[in-house]
Amino acid sequence: MPVTSAWMTRLRDAVFSWWLPVAIIGTWQASASLNLISPLFFPAPSLILQSGWQMILNGEWQSQVGATLHRMLIGAALGLSTGFACGLLMGMLSPVRKTLEPVVSVLNSTPKLAVMPLLLLFLGVGETARLVPIALTAFVTLAMQTLDAVRGVDPGFVEMARNYGAGRSALLRRVYFPACLPQVFTGLRLTAGRALVITISVELLGSPDGLGRMIWMAWQTFATEKLYIGIFSTAMLGVLFHDGLARLEARLVPWGVKPRGR
Amino acid sequence: MRLRSTDLGVTFPSPGGPVHALRGVRFETRENEFLCIVGPSGCGKTTLLRVVAGIQSPHEGAVEHIPSPSDRNRDILLVSQERNLFPWMTVIDNAAFGLEMQGVPRGRRRKLAHEILARMGFEGREMAWPHELSLGMKQRVAVARCFLSDPAVMLMDEPFAALDCLRRLELQQELLRLWEESPKTVIFVTHDVEEAILLSDRVLVLSRQPGRVVSEFRVPFPRPRTAGITMTDEFLDLKRTVSGALGLSFRKEAACR
Repeated sequence: MPVTSAWMTRLRDAVFSWWLPVAIIGTWQASASLNLISPLFFPAPSLILQSGWQMILNGEWQSQVGATLHRMLIGAALGLSTGFACGLLMGMLSPVRKTLEPVVSVLNSTPKLAVMPLLLLFLGVGETARLVPIALTAFVTLAMQTLDAVRGVDPGFVEMARNYGAGRSALLRRVYFPACLPQVFTGLRLTAGRALVITISVELLGSPDGLGRMIWMAWQTFATEKLYIGIFSTAMLGVLFHDGLARLEARLVPWGVKPRGR
Repeated sequence: MRLRSTDLGVTFPSPGGPVHALRGVRFETRENEFLCIVGPSGCGKTTLLRVVAGIQSPHEGAVEHIPSPSDRNRDILLVSQERNLFPWMTVIDNAAFGLEMQGVPRGRRRKLAHEILARMGFEGREMAWPHELSLGMKQRVAVARCFLSDPAVMLMDEPFAALDCLRRLELQQELLRLWEESPKTVIFVTHDVEEAILLSDRVLVLSRQPGRVVSEFRVPFPRPRTAGITMTDEFLDLKRTVSGALGLSFRKEAACR
């Protein structure tokens, strides 16, 4: 039986991952060059790349991406910190959980974007109104993940720590917090995805800058290349966040690595 | 520290009616005694240890602590069969956990942990994570952690039950070595009669549910005890007697589950 070397396995996996996107883009480019598809709806990938390159050269791409990132990270930071604290408290203190869980649950089921008109009424058309849905999304996602994580902490570990003399503070620092980390990271990954989506949505609705606004304006002005650039940039951001968080998790939570089968 | 109990009783609710895990269990330990409790698997032994450790409150009776002048503290620490190490701490941090809870500063506790782990053959693997270790190695670390904290009483709940024969023999010898260097009261629960006799000064036989102490045997063999004594006639005689008592308790009471 032939021996498969490591590089051959990597090559094979790479082919699996890449053949489909390459085929799609290849077909698209070919169809565009042969004028088989409308240049208004499906500009050739070469044109999109050209346009994108222009945007990078004159700084427009960076500034739009930067604006979206800025908005998303601030909103997410607000939501994540409060969400984590809330989830932790709910998980450890029963009265807190009984009080807050229904509220969080309702918020979870409410489309955060639907809250926008109400916010615009209270807060006016400003950055705060845009940050709130993002923060809320992050808050609710992480609060529920953290609550779940805390409840999932094996009571055997809590008993063991107590047996060795751990007080409340030590229990929190040395048992609950690290035990929750793997699931909290899952929450972070979920939040990153959802926060990005809601940031773009908020920008679509009305924002002076950002990828969402760029996509909207491109639609309004039939600048189809920019439309695609906006969408691809958003997707790329999503992938970067996901990948980055996975790597961070591998670093910070080495014990959370579950052996995966092929 | 010595322990003395009045008649202990623990009852658990269950769909089929109350389950008497322990009823009328009374025991007393002597100074720095290695006491083994044997009994059929599943009934009462773990509950008894949890009561002594203070994790489980008995519904009847109580355990009295009689401190000795040689006690460093009044800790009663439990080593169980599994889930012994915190997965999010390295081997050395796990071993030093007891000391950490006692407020020993980081440098010192890591140094002490390093010493005991080195003696147990962990040189170079101290920064490993529990999920990278075999069960035998994890149990070693758990035992090391317990000794490092120098409790007044050590409770061990079938700690070597899930290990293969060779590992078990190794760890038994290591346990005896550590205990002889740092004598303290140990209550060791097992279903293995040979292990019980090899390790202890005295063996208590616990019956099936409801758990009661049905017999008691003194183990007269001198220390240090190597694994070789398990083949001697005296040892086998005692093993036969204790097994008999255990066997009786198998047949007499109704099945546990």
